[in-house]
Amino acid sequence: MIQAEGLTKRYGDKTAVNDISFTVKPGMVTGFLGPNGAGKSTTMRMIVGLDRPSEGSVTVNGKPYAAHHAPLREVGALLDAKAIHTGRSAYNHLLAMGATHGIGKARVNEVIGLTGLESVAGKRVGGFSLGMGQRLGIAAALLGDPATLILDEPVNGLDPEGVMWVRQLARHLASEGRTIFLSSHLMSEMALTADHLIVLGRGRIIADAPVADILATSTRTAVKLRSPRADQLAQLLQGADVTITTTEHDALTITGLTAPVIGEAAAQAGIALHELTPVGASLEEAYMELTQDDVEYHAGTTPTITEEAAR
Amino acid sequence: MSATTITTRPDARLSAPGIVRSEWIKLRSVRSTVWSYAIVVAASIGIAALLASTFGFGEQIPPAELHNGIIVQAATFGLYIGQLVVAVLGVLVISGEYSTGMIRSTLTAVPTRLPALAAKAVVLFVSTFVVGLVSVFGALLLALPILAGYGIEADFGDGALLGNLVLAALYLGLVSLFALGLGTILRSSAGGIAATLGVILLLPTIISAVIGITQAQWAMDISPYMFATAGTGIFSPGGPLSQGENLLVVLAWVAVSLVGGALLLKRRDA
Repeated sequence: MIQAEGLTKRYGDKTAVNDISFTVKPGMVTGFLGPNGAGKSTTMRMIVGLDRPSEGSVTVNGKPYAAHHAPLREVGALLDAKAIHTGRSAYNHLLAMGATHGIGKARVNEVIGLTGLESVAGKRVGGFSLGMGQRLGIAAALLGDPATLILDEPVNGLDPEGVMWVRQLARHLASEGRTIFLSSHLMSEMALTADHLIVLGRGRIIADAPVADILATSTRTAVKLRSPRADQLAQLLQGADVTITTTEHDALTITGLTAPVIGEAAAQAGIALHELTPVGASLEEAYMELTQDDVEYHAGTTPTITEEAAR
Repeated sequence: MSATTITTRPDARLSAPGIVRSEWIKLRSVRSTVWSYAIVVAASIGIAALLASTFGFGEQIPPAELHNGIIVQAATFGLYIGQLVVAVLGVLVISGEYSTGMIRSTLTAVPTRLPALAAKAVVLFVSTFVVGLVSVFGALLLALPILAGYGIEADFGDGALLGNLVLAALYLGLVSLFALGLGTILRSSAGGIAATLGVILLLPTIISAVIGITQAQWAMDISPYMFATAGTGIFSPGGPLSQGENLLVVLAWVAVSLVGGALLLKRRDA
């Protein structure tokens, strides 16, 4: 359980996180979503006490992170895959991290096995690929067998197998009743992993709802149809809240009416339909809609999602 | 690779001995530590051998009361190089964590922060002190028979000889702490090393240059309080300050550096 109350972080006159309050509940995967520069990483660093909030507070399992007797058992955090000394082997890194809490070799070997790092555990981290670095970061986060797991962009640099593994791991750990808080700028990834979404844009929360609700609120839920008498049908279906676009000479895309309503109307008018397809908005589209005014870096007119730059 | 069930470990908790053990694992598991300490020992013993065999006494054997001083000088001369290596190592112990991002892992494991710095200080000091002991006593063992060839014999009677060698090793440990503090303040390897070597090497040179040119009284007054000047005075008596006073001066430098580092570590975002 993570609870943030009026959390604010300012760097000089730039406000990275602006008065946000949210709760991340146990037993589910909560996605933390937003364009780059939205304040996701800053928020996560404040949760584990690396950055001090300018205002507000955040607690983990009822206490500030630093007040816990065994912080690594409360929270496992992957905040930056590169937060590892490059001159040390993966095994020694984990051993040193674990030693602070009296976590020994047995558990270190366990998380090495869990993350598939057996073959490189003895090698120095400097030679690791981005994907191996991510796995090592996740291994470190799992060391204390934590009740809450915070993962900042965990699938960055992972191969498809690794992405699938992170997804399964997150879902599995959530099913054990743990709190899983996972950030990404990739909506498609979240659609497959998260139960609940907190969407951040320019340091403010612009949505905090179950994934299904965020999908449902999208205005882009549409119905595609094909008919030889498409023009007639378009006139028939016109209404106040209805938008009809002609995509081809015999095809229409209609928003504001459901497929059954359209089907019934066509049948009553005796118009034959060759296709009638409800088109659910993808989470990606819903996300674009939510964040279109909150993307910090626009490229021309298209909101772009680029690699995270300076924090 | 599948998500297997994770067994629980209810006994795990943050503890001071645990943090010290963690820092010990960190110190011994990077190559720079091993190299640095190897160089300190090698320089100490090598220079002692060189110095002892090239002392030019001619036919005249120095008076007996000077023998112990000559022996201490031979055994500790290598520390002039050793202290520079240890200074670099002391900075790297913390600046290496900043440059690689490791500091964020460290401070996530020890979110109250100061215990992590304290553990680093303890581990670094003890390791460097032990390496210092190995260096000076190794150098002593090598220098003794060579010097005996000139008729210079050690007098272990009053314990001052061995005491001074232990103090020399202590000074080496204090150099590492001073460097650790500056590295924590500056958070950068280049900046930390430049600042530490500047204080150890450059500052006394500048002060003597000022004295040489201007004869300024203030420069003569502060000269004995420079870090390295007081530092060598800890184990080689005869300067304007007593050995105990020199130790206090060096401890004050170390305290300013470490307390400054601790305050900033506690306050700053990582």
